[in-house]
Amino acid sequence: MQTFYIIAFLSIVFSILVISAKNPVHSILYLILTFFTFTIHYILMNAQFLAIVNFIVYMGAILVLFLYTLMLINLNKESEPVKPFMVKVAAVFGGGILAVALVSSLKLLGTSAPVVLKDPNLGLVKNLGKVLFNEFLLPFEVSSVLLLSAMVGAVLLATKDKEPKATI
Amino acid sequence: MGLYKAQKALLPVTVLGLLVALGTAVMQWTEKNEAAPMYSGMMLFNNFSIAFSAISIVSTILILLLSKGYFEKISNHIAEYYAIILFSLAGIIVMVSYHNLSMMFIGIEIMSVSLYILAGIRKNDFASNEAALKYFLMGAFSTGFLLFGIALIYGSSGSFDLEGIRTYVAGNPQNIDPLFYTGILLIIVGMCFKVGAAPFHFWTPDVYEGAPSLITAYMSTVVKVAGFAAFLRLFSACFLLMADFWTPVLLVITIVTLFIGNITALYQQSFKRMMAFSSISHAGYLMFAIVAIGAASANSIFVYATAYSIASIVAFGSLILVRQHSGTDNFEGFNGLAKHNPFLAFVLTVSMLSLAGIPLTAGFIGKFYMFTGALSQYKVWLVIIAVINAIISIFYYFRVIIAMYFRSGDDAEVAIPAYYKLVFGFSALATIVIGIYPTLISALI
Repeated sequence: MQTFYIIAFLSIVFSILVISAKNPVHSILYLILTFFTFTIHYILMNAQFLAIVNFIVYMGAILVLFLYTLMLINLNKESEPVKPFMVKVAAVFGGGILAVALVSSLKLLGTSAPVVLKDPNLGLVKNLGKVLFNEFLLPFEVSSVLLLSAMVGAVLLATKDKEPKATI
Repeated sequence: MGLYKAQKALLPVTVLGLLVALGTAVMQWTEKNEAAPMYSGMMLFNNFSIAFSAISIVSTILILLLSKGYFEKISNHIAEYYAIILFSLAGIIVMVSYHNLSMMFIGIEIMSVSLYILAGIRKNDFASNEAALKYFLMGAFSTGFLLFGIALIYGSSGSFDLEGIRTYVAGNPQNIDPLFYTGILLIIVGMCFKVGAAPFHFWTPDVYEGAPSLITAYMSTVVKVAGFAAFLRLFSACFLLMADFWTPVLLVITIVTLFIGNITALYQQSFKRMMAFSSISHAGYLMFAIVAIGAASANSIFVYATAYSIASIVAFGSLILVRQHSGTDNFEGFNGLAKHNPFLAFVLTVSMLSLAGIPLTAGFIGKFYMFTGALSQYKVWLVIIAVINAIISIFYYFRVIIAMYFRSGDDAEVAIPAYYKLVFGFSALATIVIGIYPTLISALI
């Protein structure tokens, strides 16, 4: 429990730093740290697979992509739009209402029975693999169609036609 | 096919494959509807799935027949277009026959991802790019809602299986988790986006207008029908006992959809944009079956969807021809069409009458079943509002007919290729036959 509170505190601190950092590159670096604390959360909850995926995909791949995009679009101070005061007030107001709604609805909720893990070893890679290749084999296989379609489409949209065609 | 440079063989092979798929689907038909879930409860290919698979495949065949010579004008890589359309059809077959929420999600995603690409295949056209990007961003956002809803349902009921969720609802009539209600609402948001119902319709006009006409025809017929089939399957299988909770929500969505679709369609100058808003209003009529959910719902959605798909395919097919001829999407392009193209004008008139719901056409039968379903649950006011909307819709559908028959335009004849004649003839015949003899398809499921 002690570790959980330390890590939870750290993730909140880092996520505040993400939105308060002036430099966008710093902001992304803080985001990487935030995701790293999430990975530790997953390990604490005995969810090996989620931890590894979070580490590799989110921290590794997606945030590197973020960094590249930022460098490509060259975000400077001048290009940042200045928001009027009223917009800021409205944003704070809207966010506050959302927070009130969330807190009050969470107060109403108890912990429902299925949420409590019946099997603490559920998140281990071994158990996940068993479920994935027995019960959920069909969705697993069918998602290959999804990936194939996305891949064909990406190639199709990215290749250049030899001569520009007249539009219909 | 793309590997072998046999571009002429693409269309026949595709249509042949679809016919085989249609045949094998129909072979599964059982008289007593006794299919059992397959693949450890992932799919259930019962008569409902067969009927909706069949209508999706038939509509796709009709649209592909219209594609003869169409994709060649856009790009050199036509094999990929056929492949992507078939991928999205595969997703649709999954959507109409799922028995597990994970399958439903994957089906919807296969369909949507393919459509994002298809909307943007005219790479040099700004409107097409805008359509693809807009559809992609909004679609990804709505997918988030849908997935969040599924996660909340799983969190409270402990199952992805439709049977499991139904058992949970039936087993806890008093203390259903609040998260479950939130999950239902989020799923409604996600599904309403996918079928283009107001107030989640904002992407529809721009995407339908920007996408190539043939793809718009596909999106507004096959995709919409599959969305409703998935919607109905989920709600009739899982949430039927909680109908008191979500019926008012859907009732409001239906009424808003009807009014927004019909009133905005009145003000359109472009035929394609008018069809986009008319498809929003038809989504409203199709919602009737889910609002008044019951044993006959599947049947009325099937009849309505058949009538609507056939009529829309004719409308978009003639739009493609008129657009190629006169270069405009507007109603003026149809002026004087009846003088030099009586056949085209006639089939377009039949389809417009069917969309407006005039008797002796299939559209009337579809509306009749929808209204009967609503009346049987004493939703009289809903039916009155729908009738008012049907009257409004007659105005803008008749604008096309008036332009064709009573306005004069240029006298050059629009050339109709043989494939188009086949599709138009078949569709007009089907519309009238179903309109006169509805029991042909109305007692299937």
